[in-house]
Formats: sequence, C-alpha cells, structure tokens
Amino acid sequence: MAQSGPSPNVYVPPGGESDPRMPPGSGDRWPKILGGGDTSARNVWIGVGSTLIFFGLLAIIVVRSPGWPEIKDQFFNAAEFKSSFPVILRKFVRNIFIFCAAEVLVLIFAMVIAVLRSLPGPVFTPLRILAAAYTDLFRGVPTILVIFLLGYGMPALELQGVPDSDYLWGIVALTLVYSAYVAEVYRAGIQSVHPSQVAAARSLGLSRWQSMRHVVLPQAVRRVIPPLLNDFIGLQKDSALVFVLGVVDALGQAQIIQQGDFNFTPFVALSVIFIAITIPQARFVDWLIARDQRKRQSSAAV
Amino acid sequence: MRKGLLVLAVLAIIATACAPKTSTSTSAAAGDCTPDTMNLHTPGQLTIATGNPAYKPWYGGTSESGSDWKSGKYTGDPHSGEGYESAFAYSLAEQLGFTKDQVTWLGIPFGKSFAPGPKDFDFAMQQISMTPQRAKAVDFSDGYFDVNQALIADNGSPAIGVTTLAGLKDLKLGAPVGTTSLQVIQELVQPNVEPGVYPDLDTALKDLHNGQLDGVVVDFPDAFYGYADQIVGQFPQLSGGQEQFGLAFEKGNSLTSCVNQAIATLKSNGTLKQLEDQWLQTDASVPVFS
Repeated sequence: MAQSGPSPNVYVPPGGESDPRMPPGSGDRWPKILGGGDTSARNVWIGVGSTLIFFGLLAIIVVRSPGWPEIKDQFFNAAEFKSSFPVILRKFVRNIFIFCAAEVLVLIFAMVIAVLRSLPGPVFTPLRILAAAYTDLFRGVPTILVIFLLGYGMPALELQGVPDSDYLWGIVALTLVYSAYVAEVYRAGIQSVHPSQVAAARSLGLSRWQSMRHVVLPQAVRRVIPPLLNDFIGLQKDSALVFVLGVVDALGQAQIIQQGDFNFTPFVALSVIFIAITIPQARFVDWLIARDQRKRQSSAAV
Repeated sequence: MRKGLLVLAVLAIIATACAPKTSTSTSAAAGDCTPDTMNLHTPGQLTIATGNPAYKPWYGGTSESGSDWKSGKYTGDPHSGEGYESAFAYSLAEQLGFTKDQVTWLGIPFGKSFAPGPKDFDFAMQQISMTPQRAKAVDFSDGYFDVNQALIADNGSPAIGVTTLAGLKDLKLGAPVGTTSLQVIQELVQPNVEPGVYPDLDTALKDLHNGQLDGVVVDFPDAFYGYADQIVGQFPQLSGGQEQFGLAFEKGNSLTSCVNQAIATLKSNGTLKQLEDQWLQTDASVPVFS
C-alpha cells in the first residue's frame, strides 16, 4: 500500500505527506481518516477494523429494528427507485440550469458588493452602508422566504416589463441570497491582503482602483476559492427550493411521485443524485486546500 | 487507543439499548367498537389529522382563539363542525360513541398521513383519493365521498368556453401536488404544455390570478368557492373508476373496521347524503369535457 508509510527509496517531494515541516496527516485525506494521523500499517488496519465493527453494529441495529421492513418498503423500494430515478434525473437538468445561472450571477454581483464594502475613504460611506445593509438583509432572511416573496410578489405587480417567469424569479432570489454570503467571502479575501501591498502599489503610481484591480483582487479571489465552492455546493442544494413557485424541478418531480404513490423512495433517489454531484466538488475543494497548503509550505521554506 | 475503544463500545451499547422499540399496541377484537376498547392513539380521544390551512368547503366556520387553524375567506377550522369533512368527522365520532369534546384535531403536512411507522393520530381526513398504489402504504376506510374533478379559470383566460379535452391541450394548466387533479391533466388532457405543479392549492391559485396559468384543476366541490371567476367544466372519470375519498389509517390498525361500520351506518341512514347537500354545492349543468 502506497499509503502505509514512506519508504526511504521513494522520492517524496517537499511538502508531501512525510514532510517533517507539516503536521502529521495534513497531506492526503484518506490516510488521515483511516489511521487517525499516524499512517503506519498497523494503525490503518486498526482503523479499518474498528470502522467495520462500528458500522456493522449500527447496520444490524437498523435492520433488526421492528420498523425496518416498513422503512425498507417505503424508503428503499427497489421497484419505486428504478421507475422514479430516470424521471427525476431528467428534471434535474432544470436544477442544473437554475444553479449554473445563479452561480454566474453570484460571482459577478457578490464581487460588486464586496468591492463597494471595501472602498476606502469617507466619500464612499453611503455605498458601504448600502453594501452592509444588503448583506445583513439577505443573510438574515431565510432563502425560502426570499423565493416566496419575489416569486409571488413580483409577477403580482403586473408591471409592464416585469417578467412573470417562475424560473427567473427563483434564480434572482437564489442570486440575491447567495451573493450576500459570497460577498462576505470575497471581503474576507480582500481584507486578507496586507495593506502594505496597497501602499506599495500606490507608491508605484497605481490609482486606488488599479491597485484594487491588479494587486488586491487577484490574490483575494485565489485565496477564497475553497470557501466559494462551499457556498456553491449550498446553492446547488437550495436550487430545489424553487419548487415552491411551481417550477417542476427534481424535487417537484420527486414529490409528485411521492404523493401519488405514497412512497418516500423518490426522495432517496433525489438524494443520491445530489450526493453524486456534490461529493466530487467537496473532494475537489479538499484537494485545492491541500494543494494551497503545500504551496505555502514550500514557498515558506524557500 | 484503549480509551477510544471504550468510547466506541459505550456508543454502540447506547445505540443498542435505545434502538429496538417493542410495539405495545393491543388490537381490539372485531366488533368491539366502544371508545374504551378501540385501538386509539390517545385513550378516550379520537385524534383526527388534517391539513393546516384547512380549505372550504371541506372545513368551514370561524376559528376561536387558541385554535391552531385560522379561518378566512377560503379556509375554515376543523373544530367548527362546519364544512363537509368537519361535519362528517363529528357525525362519525358520535356514531363511534365519542362526545364532541373527545375529538382532537392535529394539523399535519400531507406526507405525514402516509409516512411509515406509528402515527400521531388515529386517521387522516384530508380529501385523500384512494388508489391501489396508495393502499400499499396505508389502510383506507371505505369511501365517504365520490369526487369528480373540474377546471376553474379567470375571465379572459383562453380556457373560458372550451368544451373538449382536446381544446385544453395547448393551455397552461396547474394543480396542487399529490392530487388526482394532476393525474387528470396528465392522463385525460395529455397537454402539450407542461402543467404547473404546486406545493398546495393556495400557491396554484396565486399563479392563476397572476396570469401565469390558464386554469387550475380542483375537486369539483372546490370549484364553487370563488377560487376563480368561472367553472369551465368537469372532467370525465379516470380509468380507475369512480374516484373516492377515504380515511387513511396506519397499516393493520384495528380501528379501521370500527370506522367502516360507522361509515356504513351514516351511509344507510342518509346522514352522508344530507351532509353533502348541506355543505357541498353541485351543479349538474356544468358541462363534462368531451
């Protein structure tokens, strides 16, 4: 097993898992989970053993519980799963459309908010207040309420030029809510860039905006990519909330089948779909963080 | 390491100790139908679950302070005894030997009426249409109401004046999720435009009034309650035969047979018919889509 421990014959790049400068287990993720830090073969096997026993016991308890036959039939019904999965998957295309559109809009809009809030100087006080009020408001109101208010409120205005598409208002609501979160993430990134860098840029003759654009933002964005992706995973899951407006997305379809057949398996099927798209992203975020850490460790060593 | 094993072992023991719950419900013998001997969720009380909000004409009256329900233009309170299902519930309870005070109402989301496991109520009364598929998850009582579906629309909708199913094909129709109304759209109309499906009737009606829907399919008695400007027409029956509402019980609940006896009595002595006439409007002149 490659992960059972560093062999003296194998070249380990600086910053790799055996790098003495790194805390134990901070390199790769799996050995950390299995061995609890020390990745010797013995510890990995103990980890595997106790895991099997623990989850085996849990499984036995669940399967032997008096309600299990009913749960199995109502939540893990193979026939129901087979018939509902493809139908739900087809409707999931709509969720993908909704969250992709919202993600693009969030990236742009949140940046505007974050930059507004980070503007220095007393002249920009009203803009800073506006940006702060925006993030407070939309982080405070539950997402589903924002969707309700916009989705049923805006078309009811019956104003010329105000579209009445449920999709559109669902996307707008998700964009407004998630922009508030992502703006804070951006802002944290912007603030993490040391002020001396702005001072240096200014002394080179760059304007305030130029130093923001060419010095601060590139570093800020790179640093916040992992938390940004975390927020996007949240956004993807929340795309299912748009169902309350009458958009038949994957959740809507699952509920149609659930209430028609009185069976909860469609919800399990949809959960499988969501897990299948979010886990690779979560691992990708882990990988990004690990890579970032390695980079920083090695550059610190230089 | 030792400590870790100990923690795991303790966790496992806790899980084992609390997991198996033995069922203690005793089933009453058939024919043994008095409030003292019936299999009830709360002894001495008949606990009935329904939706909240509860819609007219099924639930009417005015809610008193302290009630979980809020009566309004379109909604009522199950405690009132007014509205078809509320009145039916109290007649049923009386037939079973309960006083009015011994009836408890519980507001539930629709999914709870058929969720597996022990229920927090004796049965759900929520205009639940009985289908063989649904009967796999719950036990249904005998039917207590024969229901048809109707299309309602606002003035100015292209649905106004349509008399055939084919004429509805290109309209944007809507229905609440989990109802046979949706099934009617899909099986009878087979529309070219995808129907809108809503979490409940309320939200479907909002889209109707906003002009995002051309019509909403509802249970026929609902059509008279001013949810929309006009009743466009009634739908013929689905292939499964006459659609009926039934009460939903936990599978194997011995209470079902007692309730069925009571429903049979209320049918034969004319009470159900009288409640229908009192609380539900109907109009034979509403055309059936051909």
